[in-house]
Amino acid sequence: MKVGIISFAHSHAYGYADAVKRIPGAELVGIADDNFERGKEAASRFDTKHYGSYEELLSQDIEAVIVTSENSMHHEHVVAAAKAKVHVLCEKPLATKAEDAEEMIKVCKENGVILQTAFPVRFNSSIIRAKHIVDQGDLGEILAIKGTNRGTNPGGWFVDPEKSGGGAVIDHTVHVVDVMRWFMGAEVKEVYAEIGNLISEHEIDDCGILTIEFDNNVFTTLDCSWSRNETYPTWGDVTLEIVGTQGTLSVDAFAQKLDVYDKEGVKWNYWGDDMDFGLVNDFLTSVSEGKEPSITGTDGLKALEVALAAYESSKKKQPVLV
Amino acid sequence: MLNVLVIGAGTMGSTHGDALSKMENVSLVGIVDKNLEKAKELGRKLGAEAFGTYEEAIESKPIDVVSICLPTPIHKPYVEKVADQGFHIICEKPLARNLKDAREMIDYCKAKKVKLFVGHVVRFFPEYVQAKEVIEQGSIGNVAVARTYRGGAFPYGSNDWYADYESSGGLVLDMIIHDFDFLRWCFGEVERVYAKSVEKGNERRIDYSLVTLRFKSGVIAHVEGSWAHQTFTTNFEFAGETGIVEHDSSKSVPVRFAGRNQSQSGGGVAVPESPLKKNPYYLELEHFLSCVESDREPIVTAEDAYKAMEIALAALQSIETKKEVELDAFARIGGVK
Ligand SMILES: NC(=O)c1ccc[n+]([C@@H]2O[C@H](COP(=O)([O-])OP(=O)(O)OC[C@H]3O[C@@H](n4cnc5c(N)ncnc54)[C@H](O)[C@@H]3O)[C@@H](O)[C@H]2O)c1
Repeated sequence: MKVGIISFAHSHAYGYADAVKRIPGAELVGIADDNFERGKEAASRFDTKHYGSYEELLSQDIEAVIVTSENSMHHEHVVAAAKAKVHVLCEKPLATKAEDAEEMIKVCKENGVILQTAFPVRFNSSIIRAKHIVDQGDLGEILAIKGTNRGTNPGGWFVDPEKSGGGAVIDHTVHVVDVMRWFMGAEVKEVYAEIGNLISEHEIDDCGILTIEFDNNVFTTLDCSWSRNETYPTWGDVTLEIVGTQGTLSVDAFAQKLDVYDKEGVKWNYWGDDMDFGLVNDFLTSVSEGKEPSITGTDGLKALEVALAAYESSKKKQPVLV
Repeated sequence: MLNVLVIGAGTMGSTHGDALSKMENVSLVGIVDKNLEKAKELGRKLGAEAFGTYEEAIESKPIDVVSICLPTPIHKPYVEKVADQGFHIICEKPLARNLKDAREMIDYCKAKKVKLFVGHVVRFFPEYVQAKEVIEQGSIGNVAVARTYRGGAFPYGSNDWYADYESSGGLVLDMIIHDFDFLRWCFGEVERVYAKSVEKGNERRIDYSLVTLRFKSGVIAHVEGSWAHQTFTTNFEFAGETGIVEHDSSKSVPVRFAGRNQSQSGGGVAVPESPLKKNPYYLELEHFLSCVESDREPIVTAEDAYKAMEIALAALQSIETKKEVELDAFARIGGVK
């Protein structure tokens, strides 16, 4: 299986590239990056070829690409890949506008290629175990979920709305919303959000608390803030507190860690399973077996819609229907 | 020496009585409970006399201060009764079930020139006090997002009064009002409230609420309350521009006894303890009594208690209407609920 990567703008590209290298039968054919320095460096690190343009990479003999460009570039890159009949794993958020995401889905469908949204959290072993507990019915009926996906402000293009489409809300809403939809098989009905630009000096939303109600009447909240400061022991988190009629379930997806104390302070070293590997492996398996992707473009769109609704709610200072 | 009477020999009456009985210049003159057996049992334990009614107690005892540890809806008649006598009052939170009662109680005590203290004890928990100090010192910068959690099992009060939400106000008014008060203490007035809660929580005996507060200062707070969990814990996180302060009561447990024998306390379940020379209730009561003696303003005023109720009742309103509630507008009409 010949695989390419379009852009290393998003740092998740490194994890995905590493996964491709470790998957038997997969070959990382090349990296397209118009940032030559970054592209060349990544190509040498992963022992592959650098292409200065994505068109060049797409004209090679490849079956699949991973798109890890700036959010606003996903649309252009995914559409081009689809037209070149190349299957796509696209970094989240799928796009910065719902229309873009819809068109990406449409074009991929017309060209008969897979469009998978990169929601690696679905491949976190603790999340998988929690879903199993929910599916078995051990929790009874779910009444409410509290989620967090707090992180560190990544800086760079992430704080340029032209490229990112927004800050913490668009960056950190989609993972947990996707997990909630996946756990419950339900769709979002209404969103309320308090959003702020209270942490960084850049003009960008860097904190938000969303209240999300689903069509099965379950209410949830999500903290998507870039509120982890430099010295906090980790860059990010995914936690869920699920309250059911028969019990409660607490999930801390990255709790499998060492506490390391060194000159710089405390760090949490994660030792759990690598979810990026799970995601990329799943994508390439779907491609090679010609299966439907386990996470679709529509899943990406649904999660994006919640982030967009959150911005709208915050502007209107009232709940909005999705 | 202050003579203190406790009314109500339930959970809070026992807590107050226990603390008061240990104080050096306080005389716990009696315990009142309409269930005389309960009053007697607690009285025996604390070396205080038991009474079946308040009237009997005041006939036979000298009194300076009365601590009211009764179910919320009867705070008002007792506050007024005690104020009539000119005794100072410590009343458990929430001050009342609705804002009209609360306002009348405050006005009544003013008119009768007695002090009214309300038991917002979280302002006396050292971990909360210290977190506030860290915030004020400025090392974490201005706070952007505050998160609090308070939860445990669905409570059992006398006659199961907690499950009657018309009486108790449920989880939001009864319990997470502590966090509303604390957050308001730290961040000032609230602009907007949005809240969700389990439907028919009292019938299910499972309640869970998630409340978002937007403060006028811009701070966003997420307040989580639970009567759906097995053991009582609290936690908080204050994330500022340059740092974070967090605490989790389930992790700061210095003493944990796990008996091997089923008949030992806890029945084989680990019993966590966080021992302090003076527990927060002791500190709170000690502070209120010192305010009586020195005629000082307390750390938490009756007006603060009223304001905390406003936030809680606005949250209940939001839950019912499924809409955001602007607090100023809500306060202007005195709260509908
Ligand atoms: N600060 C806190 O941490 C905290 C914690 C729990 C409860 N509270 C508050 O304390 C108050 C009491 O709660 P509780 O859990 O102790 O309730 P409880 O039901 O355990 O105790 C109330 C007691 O009052 C007695 N009583 C009822 N009506 C009476 C009357 N007319 N005259 C005399 N006695 C009467 C009952 O017999 C009972 O013993 C409530 O307002 C509650 O919200 C505060």
